[in-house]
Amino acid sequence: MSDFLEVESLSISFGGLRAVSDLDFAVERGEVVGIIGPNGAGKTTLFNLLTGFLVPTAGDVRFKGKSLVRKKPHQIVERGIARTFQLVRPFQQLTVLENVMVPHLSPKNRRKNKHRAENQKRALNILGQVGLGDKIHLLASDLSHGDLRRLEMARSLAADPELLLLDEPFSGLAAKEIETLSDLIHAVTDRGLTVIIIEHKLREMMKLVKRVITLDFGIKIADGTPEEIANNEAVIKAYLGKGGEKFVTSRD
Amino acid sequence: MKQISYTADQISLPPSPLHWKRFRPHMVAVCLLLLVPLFIKSTYVIDLLILCNIYAMFLSSWDLLTGYTGQISFGHSLFIGSGAYTAGILSFYFQVPILITVPLGGVVAALFGLLLGIPCLRLKGPYLALATFAASGVLAALTAVFWEYSGGEDGLYGIASVSANYVVKYYWSLSLMIVICGFLLFLVNSQYGLILQSIREDESAAEASGINVTRYKLITFVLSGFLAGIAGAFYSHTQMHVGTDQFSLHLSIMVVLMSVVGGLGTIVGPIVAGFLLILLNEWLRVIEVVRVLIYSFSVVLILLFIPKGIVPTVISGIQKGIEKMKSPARS
Repeated sequence: MSDFLEVESLSISFGGLRAVSDLDFAVERGEVVGIIGPNGAGKTTLFNLLTGFLVPTAGDVRFKGKSLVRKKPHQIVERGIARTFQLVRPFQQLTVLENVMVPHLSPKNRRKNKHRAENQKRALNILGQVGLGDKIHLLASDLSHGDLRRLEMARSLAADPELLLLDEPFSGLAAKEIETLSDLIHAVTDRGLTVIIIEHKLREMMKLVKRVITLDFGIKIADGTPEEIANNEAVIKAYLGKGGEKFVTSRD
Repeated sequence: MKQISYTADQISLPPSPLHWKRFRPHMVAVCLLLLVPLFIKSTYVIDLLILCNIYAMFLSSWDLLTGYTGQISFGHSLFIGSGAYTAGILSFYFQVPILITVPLGGVVAALFGLLLGIPCLRLKGPYLALATFAASGVLAALTAVFWEYSGGEDGLYGIASVSANYVVKYYWSLSLMIVICGFLLFLVNSQYGLILQSIREDESAAEASGINVTRYKLITFVLSGFLAGIAGAFYSHTQMHVGTDQFSLHLSIMVVLMSVVGGLGTIVGPIVAGFLLILLNEWLRVIEVVRVLIYSFSVVLILLFIPKGIVPTVISGIQKGIEKMKSPARS
């Protein structure tokens, strides 16, 4: 197994409901993995388990050989895992620039951003990469939904992660905005960052990933290349429906 | 991917919130307050201004906890009162000098901040407000249990005064207010303040940004308690008396009310509102019959028409005015 991210027999129950059940998978450094499945399959719960927002009832998550179980979310960010949220969670009353300055103030990044001017320059650089460089003075509450998605991405990149978890990054975006964000994710993965993406917009997601894990009722029902997943009987039955291969198109 | 790379030269980065030019209005206000005793000889008015200075410390320390960090607290009277009683008891029974009783008052209040902060870490919104609301009653309970030392309901009379000279007393209160409020202004405008604001805006997003939310919340509870305790201790020396009636839930509610009227999360807003509302309340004493009615009605009107508070509304009005003045010149 990979020593980058290992998920072993991971389970969590809410009362009588097993939201994630005996989940096993591993992710190699530099991989781009998609997670799909119907609503309620346990995808976001999995992200919450990986990032410390939930504590598993059984199983283990190891990142670079060390267990993340019972670690607080900020400690997991320290270890090198950052995330975005399904529903965007900007710091509404802070400016776009300040939103991205906050992760620079975590213990891991604080030393090199001790002076506000240095922090601002680093944040501006990231905002330039996501295309928000001309909106740094605006309050986050004044941004469009598409810009908020990019801001969320910028904030997670500011945490300087080795593994980035994107929870439905295309949700609520128009086609043009999806294209822009897709380009951004591509740029990030081209730089070697490991990314796991949860997404329902399959056509767009399949262009980004090399491997897809499918969940249903908290159980892994398939794990393979986009082509294998599109033709997998169990996935077709649980999620894709007939003609699943239409989602798999080459980016080029 | 088309990456747009900006540099600080191409985009004007916002100036530091700690740039001295931003504090010119504050400096003018301090200068005016320093000159007050030269023009006003009435001990009554000077006493009122001493009270305003003390309230400025109460309110700004509360604003750090609630306005900046988003921890809704109705328990500030516990911090103020514990500081006041510590100073009162030390001065009354042991004749400890003021320079020691005041910081010790802050330390005891900081311990109460820690005691209140730990259980409150898991609470949010109305639940947190209710828990701190209950904390307001703790002091009365403690003074009742230890009535032999606290003086019970009557409290303690005969605590050492800051000074027999009211002008000296005024300058002491002003100095302490400048130090505490100046420190708070520095803190909230530093990058530390940015962290506190991120916690106020969204605790989960702050955690996901690598911020140890628990630690910062606890530090803020302790710091807010410490500063309020110092102010409370000083208050007991200016009044030469401590009693539970001074530090009841009513005080906590006044702190919340005045801060909201002034503008949450500004530090200056609550200070301005403290001065305005205390002076308004006193001026209305000439029409005692309708004083409470007019006072309450004024507060309701302010909350209704300028819900952001006096200071943010005035600042945004001035900024709009300046922009309007500039725009015809451009066209």
